[in-house]
Amino acid sequence: MADSQDRKWGMVVDIDRCTGCNGCVVACQSENNIPNNLEEHFNQRRAIQWIRIERYWEGEYPNVKARFIPVMCQQCGNAPCEPVCPVYATYHNEEGLNVQVYNRCIGTRFCANGCPYHVRFFNFWEPEWPESLKNQLNPDVTVRSRGIMEKCSFCVQRIRRSTREGERDEVQVEDGDRAISPACVNACPTTALTFGDFNNESSQVSMMKEEAMANRGKKEGRGYRLLDNLGTEANVIYLKKVDNSAGAVHGH
Amino acid sequence: MALNRRQFLTLMGGSAGAAVFFQACGIPEKELLIDSPIEMPEDLVTGIDNWYATSCRQCDTAEGIVVRVMEGRAKKIEGNVDYPINVGKHSPRCEAGVQGLYHPDRISSPLVRTGPRGSGEYREISWEDAIGRLTNELQNLEASGDQSQAVLVTNPIGGHLGLVADKFADVFGARRFTYEPLETSVVRKALSDVFGQNAMPDFDIDNSDYLLSFGADFLSTWASPTRYSRGYGEFRQGHDHRGKLVHIDSRFSATAANADEWIRVNPGTEGLFALAVIQSIVSKGHISDSVVNALTGGDSGWLSTYSPENVSEEIGVTPETILHVGEDFSHSNHALAIGGGSAAAHSNGYASVKAIFSLNHVADNVGKKGGVILNPDSPIGGLEAAPSGNSFAEFQRLTEDMQSGTVKVLMVRGADLFYGLPDTSGFKGRSANVPMIVSFGGMMDDTTSMADLILPEHHYLEDWGTDIPLAGVGYELVGFQQPVVRPFFEDRGDNLGTKGFGDVLLAIAQVMQMDLGLNADTFKEVIRESARELYALRRGSINAPTFEAFWNGVLQRGGWWDVNAKGPSSAEPDRLDGISSPVITGSGEFNLMPFASASLLDGRNASLPWMQAMPDPISTATWQTWVEMNHKVAEERGIKEGDVVTVSASGRSITALAMPNPATPPDAVSIPFGQGHRDGGRYSAGRGGNLMAILDAVHDETTGALAWAANRVSVTPTGEWVRVPKFENTVPDFPRDEHNHVIELTSEDAH
Repeated sequence: MADSQDRKWGMVVDIDRCTGCNGCVVACQSENNIPNNLEEHFNQRRAIQWIRIERYWEGEYPNVKARFIPVMCQQCGNAPCEPVCPVYATYHNEEGLNVQVYNRCIGTRFCANGCPYHVRFFNFWEPEWPESLKNQLNPDVTVRSRGIMEKCSFCVQRIRRSTREGERDEVQVEDGDRAISPACVNACPTTALTFGDFNNESSQVSMMKEEAMANRGKKEGRGYRLLDNLGTEANVIYLKKVDNSAGAVHGH
Repeated sequence: MALNRRQFLTLMGGSAGAAVFFQACGIPEKELLIDSPIEMPEDLVTGIDNWYATSCRQCDTAEGIVVRVMEGRAKKIEGNVDYPINVGKHSPRCEAGVQGLYHPDRISSPLVRTGPRGSGEYREISWEDAIGRLTNELQNLEASGDQSQAVLVTNPIGGHLGLVADKFADVFGARRFTYEPLETSVVRKALSDVFGQNAMPDFDIDNSDYLLSFGADFLSTWASPTRYSRGYGEFRQGHDHRGKLVHIDSRFSATAANADEWIRVNPGTEGLFALAVIQSIVSKGHISDSVVNALTGGDSGWLSTYSPENVSEEIGVTPETILHVGEDFSHSNHALAIGGGSAAAHSNGYASVKAIFSLNHVADNVGKKGGVILNPDSPIGGLEAAPSGNSFAEFQRLTEDMQSGTVKVLMVRGADLFYGLPDTSGFKGRSANVPMIVSFGGMMDDTTSMADLILPEHHYLEDWGTDIPLAGVGYELVGFQQPVVRPFFEDRGDNLGTKGFGDVLLAIAQVMQMDLGLNADTFKEVIRESARELYALRRGSINAPTFEAFWNGVLQRGGWWDVNAKGPSSAEPDRLDGISSPVITGSGEFNLMPFASASLLDGRNASLPWMQAMPDPISTATWQTWVEMNHKVAEERGIKEGDVVTVSASGRSITALAMPNPATPPDAVSIPFGQGHRDGGRYSAGRGGNLMAILDAVHDETTGALAWAANRVSVTPTGEWVRVPKFENTVPDFPRDEHNHVIELTSEDAH
């Protein structure tokens, strides 16, 4: 694999495989020390889910469909959240990640206002766990304190750990290695999520992106980016749901 | 000179200025590593993690998992890439195992009741004392020859734990029950008659091109959802030809949501639909005579009673819909039919499920790619997959025995009878006649909190075990469960803390001088002795020169399997019978269509906060009991989201929060199982309503199982409103086009 500085991380999400099971959501909570979302947090609309499943209704009974879209930080190449941060807590790193430096963040929430995907979450409270549940916390991930912003990091701790261990053992981190894949990707039962290096032409994500985006606008080109018209240059590519059912109406 | 971050910040005297400087001059980020919380301070040393393979016990499919352990604490659960059932994938439920392990409300030592039953007043006692108290009671029964007045009820357990429990009950002479709230006995019996096997077969969804499913929410909760979901992903996009999924169900489930077509049928008519499909295919002659003869008993004349024209009205679809499905099914290369769930939960459940699975004989797919793959017997003699539960009818008879005083000691493990048995069984009241209730629960639940004596068991991540899969993979497989961490309450000493259920039964047997015939004193030894049998086979996934190496191998890989030891490649069709109309009770205006919660299942995961907070795939609701109803019907009745409504079935009722949606049939309401626990720790006690409790006693005609989908209910607003804790609307929707589609979400392309 190329030098770590030449990497550009990205993800491909195949909506035709996604069943909306929420496996990714729970895997993320476990990996990233996300505080338990209690009932009152949902009621205050302040539940934290770095990755979420959006469910959309289409049609009416009996011709009704539910559509699922997993949405996480799109790791934009041209991220609206970055220039608005007065303290450079959110910035673009050399591996294409949009990263959040927790101990710089002063909680202006400008970035959350700037993000069109609503994937940034503010810690309105100090996170709390009963003492025994703290045993589960991942030591590789900071527990975010009250007053700062957090979001999906593509599990940067896994990228760091596997890169460091790869350098130590003088082995290359392979494309698709589970040690470097985010928790959601490893969990997904239907393999709807694929993670990898877009700068590595032979990586699976590169090939999927190439195929999906080359034929855009044609029938076989399923690829698109969320809110592409905003010019965010997202590093998450979505593949459309295929609907070949009788009487289906289509988005285009 | 390379500066580290701390030196650099000191130099610059301010972080904002420093950051500007970084950007402007482009100091290599590698020198700074400021983005990762783990590598910021120079003095922080990252720990070493170990991943241990074991089996998950959050649901009945024991998926192979690997657990990340750092400094003796379990941190994260992922799927075991080696393990044949789930091949590295796992369900959302598996993750929450670590929350069960470190749950703040775990019981940390044996307890004896000091106040009235249900008061929650207990006193800690030693294990020696606790085992002494139980053996004392059992010895009293033994002395009077009343061993059968002891009853051991567990959840469905197979492998060695099931073996120890069965032998214990058998040698002592206790009555042995297996309890599961949402019974699988209907499906298991139908499968065994249709395919001639007690084990559940594997369904090759991956290679199927036309999947017809009836009632079973196989992508979310039914049987082995992770395995099926994995197959589903490939079925959709893993091959040149995209498979088609048609789901026939009275409810819009997660599986219906993912189907190409959801055909809504009246409750309890799924089997009729299947039989009408069979009839249509037989009448067109798309099927061999020998299969027709076997299915109809030689005379196919009776089948015409079930022609699409004759039954379509009862089913609630047009005859063309059935004919169209019959055409597609018979013209697909790899058609596959599966069914269960609500289709099995009616008075005609067995006959329905039998007709559904017989479609596979019609498709002639048994033992073939994209079809039904049969499983071999267990490679270890006497070691079986978990049995299906005893039927509701049998539990009703048990409560009668309790009433008449012939149950003296009730031992319960993993079976929340006080929660799961409907009120009509009279279990709660009759339990007062049982002098001693013993629970092995590691946490309070509705049953454990009624126990006189509690012998808390280890969490499964602290205990040994094996698993013969309920739904196997088509070849021999034994899963191995090992402790991945030391017991959490180890520091309380040997005479307090928790102990494994198997070990406790062995200890009791020892005290009572019962010979279980297992040649081992500890549960681990029982498993090791059996592993020697596997080793002696000299085949399969672990090739080792010595037994010790073999033992390490099975523990490292999480199991043993032999891809060459396959099951039978064909099965004889069994004769079908007609299907009666379903018995539906209650006078309410809505059909009640209950469903297993995607995270809590039948309620067993309700104590875990991640499971409570996991949005339901369809409603996105969390933490509560909600009732799904058609939004137009709700509007007509003036019911809006969050209205607290009373749902009444035959005089019993619960309250739930209204959740109108566009997918619920106008004549029906849907409520998830799983909430309404009286006890069960801080995250579940007193939350939501227990749907199980209000169900009427309708039985499957053949097996006596509880027909939990056979109720009609009324829905009455209470006038109260509360906000529904749900994920929907937490963030704004993405923009939609003129067809109300989220922009760029679907494609009409078939590939």
